[in-house]
Amino acid sequence: MKGWIGNLKPARCLALVLLFGSGPGAMAATGHPELDLGIARFALATGDDAAALWYTHNPETEHESLIRARALLNTGRQNQAVALLDRLIDGDYYRGEAALLKSTLMVKSTLMVKSTLTDGDQNQSGRTRLLELASQKGHGDIRQQAFFHLAEMARTNERPERAGQILASMDSGYWSALGYMNIAADYAKRDLNPSRALISLRVAMAMVEEDPDRERGEALKAQLLVRAGLLAYENEDYDKAISFLEKVALESYSTPQGLYLHGLALSAKGKHRDAMQSWHRARKYPLAFPGVAESWLGTGRGYDLAGYLGQAGEAYLSASASYDSERVTLRKLADLIREKGAFEALVAGAGETQAEWFLADSRMLTQPRSAYLLRFMENAGSQEAVRRVRDLDNMLDRMAQQERTLTVFRGVLKERLADKSNQASGISEAFAANFDALVRRISSARENATPGSDNAMELRQLALTLADVRDSAGRFGARVDNRDQKLGELSAKVGIALTSLEQNRQRARQALSQANAELDQRVLTYVDSEAERMTVALEKAEQQIAHLYEYLALQSLDRSAP
Amino acid sequence: MVGIHPAVRQVKPYIAALQGIGKLVCVLALGFVLAASITQVENAQADTAQAEELASLDREIDAIKSDLASLSQALFELEESVLYPADTQVAVFLALKDKNGLALDSVELYLNGSPVSSHLYTDRERESLRKGGVQRLYIGNLPHGGHQLKVILTARSANERFIRREMRHQFRKRPGESRIQMTLDAAAPDYEPVVSFQEWK
Repeated sequence: MKGWIGNLKPARCLALVLLFGSGPGAMAATGHPELDLGIARFALATGDDAAALWYTHNPETEHESLIRARALLNTGRQNQAVALLDRLIDGDYYRGEAALLKSTLMVKSTLMVKSTLTDGDQNQSGRTRLLELASQKGHGDIRQQAFFHLAEMARTNERPERAGQILASMDSGYWSALGYMNIAADYAKRDLNPSRALISLRVAMAMVEEDPDRERGEALKAQLLVRAGLLAYENEDYDKAISFLEKVALESYSTPQGLYLHGLALSAKGKHRDAMQSWHRARKYPLAFPGVAESWLGTGRGYDLAGYLGQAGEAYLSASASYDSERVTLRKLADLIREKGAFEALVAGAGETQAEWFLADSRMLTQPRSAYLLRFMENAGSQEAVRRVRDLDNMLDRMAQQERTLTVFRGVLKERLADKSNQASGISEAFAANFDALVRRISSARENATPGSDNAMELRQLALTLADVRDSAGRFGARVDNRDQKLGELSAKVGIALTSLEQNRQRARQALSQANAELDQRVLTYVDSEAERMTVALEKAEQQIAHLYEYLALQSLDRSAP
Repeated sequence: MVGIHPAVRQVKPYIAALQGIGKLVCVLALGFVLAASITQVENAQADTAQAEELASLDREIDAIKSDLASLSQALFELEESVLYPADTQVAVFLALKDKNGLALDSVELYLNGSPVSSHLYTDRERESLRKGGVQRLYIGNLPHGGHQLKVILTARSANERFIRREMRHQFRKRPGESRIQMTLDAAAPDYEPVVSFQEWK
């Protein structure tokens, strides 16, 4: 029995099955709403918007509509997205999330359209209504974000008390901490006494402890501590400033600034050696970060105040050398930007590609070019400018990839259309006879097999497979008849796609050159301002050196006087 | 009639001169204010023009994005029709049942002993799976009949263990699209991964 099964030649069976298996294809989504939803969700989260749209092309549930609306927004189809969001706002389950999304969209459209004041007012009241709805109907992060935006609107409209009331109704976490930090900044600008600002910062610090995203929370906490330290220092409460600044994590983005201020507060208390230790640590960071250039000068000043004039002179000289070398770096960077463009010189060259993820560690903070990029990206306008170039760059890459795929498809379809060898419709008689013989052999073998044995099971599976092959073979004739028409339709689709792809590429190239020009201009202005900052720092260092030498000269004159 | 004090008389020409200077200063100040406001208006106009330009660039980028998305969808459809005909199509999906039991590091997929797919997970992907996302690990063609699917996964369990497990599943490719969903579960207290296979008809 075993030998007979072996004679069935599975390879031949498989070849036959593949031959008959090539059906008309083209699946809609999977046809299983639960599976479609899961796939669309994963696709959206991983940036595959085309797949997300494909699997939600006929949204039946509100969840599907929400995913589709997000994918539509990501692909620039705001009108279609708004229609879906409006339906969701009137729906049952995602009212909060939809309202928040629409309110975000309103901010973007206001910025893009530059609406008149009246429109702006209407926009604002509409946005307030949406945010209120999101805060009432949303859950978790959605609700907190809505509250935060409402508080921000109240704050920017000169209603800090209302903003405070909204913040007081929020749960602890990132969003409430952010709200309190902003309110503290307002208080710090308005009040002569720092108490209200410091209290707000302390509340923000307590709130941020509850942020489940630890990395984000730590970054915000470091920023809060630096702000509190600066506020206390400016109000000459040095002990308080030191107590805040000592808590700034050494691995954070705010560390260099924190170290500089820490040194400043210590120095104000007369602890020059300790101050110099902090400044020495700050000096290890690139000069792009706030506080680093000042720390270089601070070291010289510290030696000076501690009475080590020789070391002070050396410290000023090394500060001056480092500023000078930074000016050269900035000049080279500016040349590189003019030559290659800002995106290539600063962003693409900053080791941000996926392939180099294993190199991305805390040392990234100590790379001068990354430091300048990070500082440049602090500004919202800069982020937008880089986003534009990155989006267009990615789109052009995707279009190039799509063009390659479509060209291959066009070639394959052309070949298939030209190939008339398999045009004979239907199944050959020899094949049908072979097939029938195979069926008979299997059924006789099944009769001989012991019921329930392994062989019987295996034969049953083979019989099922043959039945499947028979089904496919039954449909084969009709498929072959339609073959040319199908291939022709597909070929036409490929042709249309290629034409439209070429048009799109041209538009994208034009937009990219415009976006690149805008980014280059921005980055060059930024680099120039940084170079100016270095020049000022250099002049200060040279001034200090001159003062020191003058003093030393006068002293030596005094000593040599009779 | 009150006479003018001689000292005042002496100072008068200076006062007149000062008044003249005052007028000149006033005119100059007015001029500066006007010049400043003209510069401000010009700056504001330049800012508005630049903002308009950027807004139109943003609109163009959105339009290109939208067209690209339509193209991507068309290509997606074409790929499905040209590369994966329905009768031989097999797709393998992965989902998580227990949200916090396992953090996936990688998955390798073998069909009839041949490696067909492998994936290293990013935080974003892990998070999406945790929230109910379903990942399409593989799509390809297979002939009708019996086949074996082998999956090797490495993960970190909630009790801080590194896990590498190998699972196998026998299935039969039938006519029409075949979809196999692997659902990964790792329940407390030992967080031992268990994979269940579901075939969607």
